[in-house]
Amino acid sequence: MPEEFRVLAPLVVAALGTAAVAVLGAVRPRLAPPLAVATAALALSATLLMPAGGQVDLPWAPTWGLRLTFAADGLARLYALLATGVGLAVLTYAAGYMPLHAAHEGYPLSRTVRLYSLILLFMTAMLGLVLAQDLIVLIIFWDLTAITSYYLIGYEREQEASRRAALTALLVTGISAILLILAGVLLYTRFGTAQLPDILAQVQAGPFVTATGALIAVAALAKSAQVPLHFWLPQAMVAPTPVSAYLHSAAMVAAGVFLLGRVHPLLALSPGLQNVLLAGGFASMAIGGVLALAQREIKRLLAYSTIAQYGYVVVMLSLGAVEGAAYYILAHALIKSALFMSAGAVTEATGETDLDRLGGLARPLPLLAVGSGLAAAGLAALPLTMGFFKDEVFFAAASERGGLVSVLAVAGAVLSFAYTWRFWGGIFTGRLRSQVQRIPATLTLPVLVLGLLVMLGGIVPDPAASLAAAAGESMAERATPLELAYHLDLHAPTLMAVITWVLGIVAVLTAPRWTAAPRVVARIGERYGPDRGMFMGLVRLTTFSRRSRAFLEVRNLQWRIATVLVAAALVVGATIVLAPPWPTFRVGRLPTSDWPLFLFLLLAALSALVATRSAGRLILVLALSAVGYSLAAVFTFIGAPDVALVALLIETMMTLLLLAVLGLLPIGLARAPAEHEPHPGRRRAVGFITTAFVFVICWGVLSWPAPDAVMARAHLELAPAAHAADVVTAILADFRGLDTLGEITVIAIALLGALTFFVSRRSA
Amino acid sequence: MLLLLPLAITWFGAVALAPFDGRRRAVGVVAVGVMVAAFVALVRLGITVWTSGPVEMVAGDWPAGIGIRLRADGLGIAFALISLGVLLAALAYEVLGGVHERSLPSLVLFMSTGLTGVFLTADIFNFYVFFEIAMTASFVLATYGKQVGHLRAALTFMVVNLLGSVVFLAGVASLYHVTGTLDMDGVAERVNGAPTASVLLIAVLIFVAFGLKLGLFPFHSWVPLVYRDTWPAVAAMLSAALANIGSYGLLRFGAGLMPRELSLTASGLIVIGSLGILYGAIQAVSPRTAGEVIAWSSIGQVGYILVALGIGGPVGLTAAVLYSIINSLNKLVLFLAVGLRGWLVGAAFALAAFSVAGVPPSAGFFGKVAIFRAGADADRVPLLVLVVVGGALSLIYLFRIYQRDYWARNHAAPPSPLGARVLVLVLACGIVFIGLWPEPLLALSANAAAALTGGGS
Repeated sequence: MPEEFRVLAPLVVAALGTAAVAVLGAVRPRLAPPLAVATAALALSATLLMPAGGQVDLPWAPTWGLRLTFAADGLARLYALLATGVGLAVLTYAAGYMPLHAAHEGYPLSRTVRLYSLILLFMTAMLGLVLAQDLIVLIIFWDLTAITSYYLIGYEREQEASRRAALTALLVTGISAILLILAGVLLYTRFGTAQLPDILAQVQAGPFVTATGALIAVAALAKSAQVPLHFWLPQAMVAPTPVSAYLHSAAMVAAGVFLLGRVHPLLALSPGLQNVLLAGGFASMAIGGVLALAQREIKRLLAYSTIAQYGYVVVMLSLGAVEGAAYYILAHALIKSALFMSAGAVTEATGETDLDRLGGLARPLPLLAVGSGLAAAGLAALPLTMGFFKDEVFFAAASERGGLVSVLAVAGAVLSFAYTWRFWGGIFTGRLRSQVQRIPATLTLPVLVLGLLVMLGGIVPDPAASLAAAAGESMAERATPLELAYHLDLHAPTLMAVITWVLGIVAVLTAPRWTAAPRVVARIGERYGPDRGMFMGLVRLTTFSRRSRAFLEVRNLQWRIATVLVAAALVVGATIVLAPPWPTFRVGRLPTSDWPLFLFLLLAALSALVATRSAGRLILVLALSAVGYSLAAVFTFIGAPDVALVALLIETMMTLLLLAVLGLLPIGLARAPAEHEPHPGRRRAVGFITTAFVFVICWGVLSWPAPDAVMARAHLELAPAAHAADVVTAILADFRGLDTLGEITVIAIALLGALTFFVSRRSA
Repeated sequence: MLLLLPLAITWFGAVALAPFDGRRRAVGVVAVGVMVAAFVALVRLGITVWTSGPVEMVAGDWPAGIGIRLRADGLGIAFALISLGVLLAALAYEVLGGVHERSLPSLVLFMSTGLTGVFLTADIFNFYVFFEIAMTASFVLATYGKQVGHLRAALTFMVVNLLGSVVFLAGVASLYHVTGTLDMDGVAERVNGAPTASVLLIAVLIFVAFGLKLGLFPFHSWVPLVYRDTWPAVAAMLSAALANIGSYGLLRFGAGLMPRELSLTASGLIVIGSLGILYGAIQAVSPRTAGEVIAWSSIGQVGYILVALGIGGPVGLTAAVLYSIINSLNKLVLFLAVGLRGWLVGAAFALAAFSVAGVPPSAGFFGKVAIFRAGADADRVPLLVLVVVGGALSLIYLFRIYQRDYWARNHAAPPSPLGARVLVLVLACGIVFIGLWPEPLLALSANAAAALTGGGS
């Protein structure tokens, strides 16, 4: 039991911390930041204490065979470390950043509580996601990350840009998540279990696996902001910087590639899918890299860089280099969150977000420049940083495939080199162009710590490498050793790295000559890109919806009734066409003894016809009562005089009542023509169609002679036992007394309604 | 006796409260107390049903087939519980917010009697009688608020639904004609003796009637106007409690009484349901008020129930029951939230909206999973695509209106009474709770579906 608890400890700590921050923060907003940082620190230590290979298995929904299974395998440990470690850094940063930000934007400190609790909720979701071994549980946490991301992007909800960005992110990640749900259910239905290890042990290559793999891949690529579903990420940069540094660089976007890793054995069964992923990864590298070069706003530049960087990971995963991918994710998370936080610090210090108005900040902000510089060196893959190894594993995987893949890999890395310099060089070198305000140490410290970690990882590569190797092992289900060291001999990855640096330096030096090119690409993307496509799609959908409603939907009562009748007739018609009932339809004989009955029926029909054509209300009432009286007369002919008497009584009452009501109606109202009367031709058509379907049904039912009416016979036999003089009394008062009581209740309700209605009308 | 208790409590409560002025808080509180008592009695009955099988009795101690038989099985209990729960929540909401009309508490109690009776009777004519009690009470309730808009909506609701009642009564009469009995077991047994073509037409008649009650495409013409213009709590009662008659009726008369006809028309049901899902979702994209969006959304949502019914079998029927219950909960929270202002309400609306879209952790997620399961079981790929599209559209229409109503302009109106807001949020949290611990609901609906297919209770 204690070991089981140790697996769940980070999750539990984060969940409790979320609740604590939400509740205590609502009472005392100042408590929220320290509490959030403490929660993250506790969650981090709990993650470090997780027993390797520990597992928890609890029953959850036995009816569907779902279990709460969590396991601390290598992959889960790596991601849990990232989620809690980067989370701790970012929350520390947020404690310094949010008060400043709130003051700038002019809202009270109490509003920032929501941000802390949502970030912690996200951390909980992320931990649950990486630990889960049950597919349904995994999907639940997957969507929870999307929901928290939605609320964090829409944090400044008064601003239109925030709302739009939040909706875009929700639609892209939410709709793609439906595909994941579908894939999950398909696997669950096919293999009869939702346990991922059991499913992965059973899958075999084939169209089913390719299809589910494709569904999962779409969800994962949307989450990791891969082309063409990347456009939500740059928009998401409207969120406060801690959110961008955590969710939209290190954690949530990493969830996509996490999922690809989690189901790696399934994806590996389909070479076609692997190739599609490869192409998608390269496309993201290219488009993300080029567009990063076109951005002026520093956070958007980083967002495009993130798109490109996860492109690397997708490429590696599709090449089967799972341990390299794991290492890459770790390195990138540290680097990118440090860069985002330095971007936020720069903006708080200068009030600027635009590269054109920034520069020369190395002197006023030296520590930030160092921390950020170390991270940037990592992103540019310079030696003595983790970044060097991240590109080395990438190049190693690419050169194994060789040919075009190697060339593309180098090209992508050159782009990274160029935009990294554009970011760091643009901010910290050159002429100082803005006033600089003092910023609290909590804004610099996390950047510096992460920067130093990036450097440390480059000098002592083993701890990170062993983490990545363990993660790779749990993805590929085989041993995946990863040894990182500096080689002085000239093997392919080193050669590719050297080429990258040379080309990168050339690109940086020749920058003024080509800066226009990426902007052109960006402009084309704005006009024809998927972002625009989605926006136009929504606009078209709305227009279509409005027009179709105006065209199809009816607006007055008569037509509301008519559509129901016509729809019913259509259903009946379809039934008749598909299952012709004619053989069972019978035309009976009309014996002369039934002639009078027939005459009264004819009279009823004629009266009904008159009712439909009557102009005045008086004639209408009289015609309707004629229908009633004729039908009452019919009962006398079929040996039911008591029923006939009751019917007669009711008809008389109804007629008198209606006439009395007519007398009370104002004359003007009675003569006023009804509004929006349907066209007479259409009215006739509706009437005809309705009559036809009612006729067909009556005929169909009546053609079948009533069998032994057991109930009626029993009633007749048992009437004396009910101490009733006649069977009608027995039925009403005894056999079906409950019905009688019910009908009395109905009348009571109607009276109650009428009474209160008129009383309140009068008083009003 | 156990069986009569929930019915008797609400009926006597309604009669006793009828003379009193429901606008007084005490009367409202007593009515809520009566509902709670009835709910407890129903749970008590439910426990007996789940542990030791269906409970039944015949009114007047006559043998079955002569007197009216009442019967509580898993299906009936499931629907009675959710409907009574919805009515209880809606009544509590009105009492907390202040009742405007003297007859409201009594009418809600009458409606509870009617609904509970519908779900607990095993006699097709008695079904109609209880159905009429519930309908009549809801006709009066629909006028609640008494603005011109409310009255117009009430008139539409009344006229179109009376048409539905007539159609249903014709169906009941026809069933009696071909089987000679009103007892459900007798009908189910003897209906197979009649030629398929005739019974098929009766089945269509009953389908039309229940489709109309449920607000199913293409019998939905009354739905957008009525759900949009009636008072929010009333809209919640109509869409989340009364409409259950429709889904229950389809399940009971289709899968329970006429399974042969159901399987013959299964493809048709799936087609109609699919059209409804698409049509409702597309129409929900453009309206500018939350009430109307939800009204259209509900037309789409009931399409899923029909599709699940069409797929049939234990998996399909379970999905239909599950989806009906979850849909009721979602509609309850959404309609109640529409009537209020304040950020607590925004949170409640969002939680219910996530549930409608099937986004976890919410009850709606399991509804979607159940539908996907049914589709996957039946190997119907187009259906799976349709459910994905429907889910995507629901995300679009719900969150556009959510952002417009609760993010963009949340500051203007003063917040509503705290009690009502907290109630709505608690209900919404209930939806999330089910999403986190779905077992009771899954077991309940599996049990309900088993009651139809003959296995279990």
